[in-house]
Amino acid sequence: MQDVDLRKPRTSRKALGPFQWILQVSTGIFLIFFVGVHLYLAHINFGHPIVFYNTVLENMHNPWWLLFYIAFVWIVAYHALNGVKGIIYDTGVKGRVRAAVSYGLTLAYIATVIYGTALAIAVSRIIVP
Amino acid sequence: MGWFKIRHKGIGQVAYVFQRLSGLVIVFYLYLHLFVLSNLLRGQVTYNQIVSSITYGPDDLFVVFDVLLALVIFYHGANGLRLALNEMGIGLKHNKLFFFLFEGIAMVALIIFLYYAWQFIAVG
Repeated sequence: MQDVDLRKPRTSRKALGPFQWILQVSTGIFLIFFVGVHLYLAHINFGHPIVFYNTVLENMHNPWWLLFYIAFVWIVAYHALNGVKGIIYDTGVKGRVRAAVSYGLTLAYIATVIYGTALAIAVSRIIVP
Repeated sequence: MGWFKIRHKGIGQVAYVFQRLSGLVIVFYLYLHLFVLSNLLRGQVTYNQIVSSITYGPDDLFVVFDVLLALVIFYHGANGLRLALNEMGIGLKHNKLFFFLFEGIAMVALIIFLYYAWQFIAVG
């Protein structure tokens, strides 16, 4: 028997609104690619974990990989914090609490992408021992 | 917290609840990952000590957490992809089939990933 509940799947669309929901779906699709590449590089193809330090540095010295990881941070942080927002909104918060959640998560997003970008650039500038 | 109730609500609600719980686990891990990666700035010895400790001991319990994390990520990705296809009107009529198909493929991919990841750390 077909599960009626699955025919109209529950999502955060109503809580987030159509624009943020579409962004949530789009970033999610991008992340399947980004996470797939990252898991392959970091956990299968990168070599022995003990030499991880050198291999990370060598990888991050390539500007394309640096760009890849910066884009990864921006997209994953958006998807993560927008998802958290959807969950909190779904609890039924209204008014000032809802606004505070929105501002707080926006600030958290800005802080995360600034820190993540700065970290990636800083790592890319370390000289390989 | 009505979304958390799964009893007698069908597989759709279970998928929905686990999508959210897995998402929260991944958010927590995301920040933990950034914290660990920040140790790259502390130099080769410190970073390699941390990686060695969480891979080969004394803190190698993290390998178990990594396996559970991989499970959560593969589940979240597969179910998320199904929901994205639903947005385009694909798979709505056979959604239960799509759910099990996507999760089945994800679990096979997870086993393949874990096999190669194990080969990777078993070198040490």
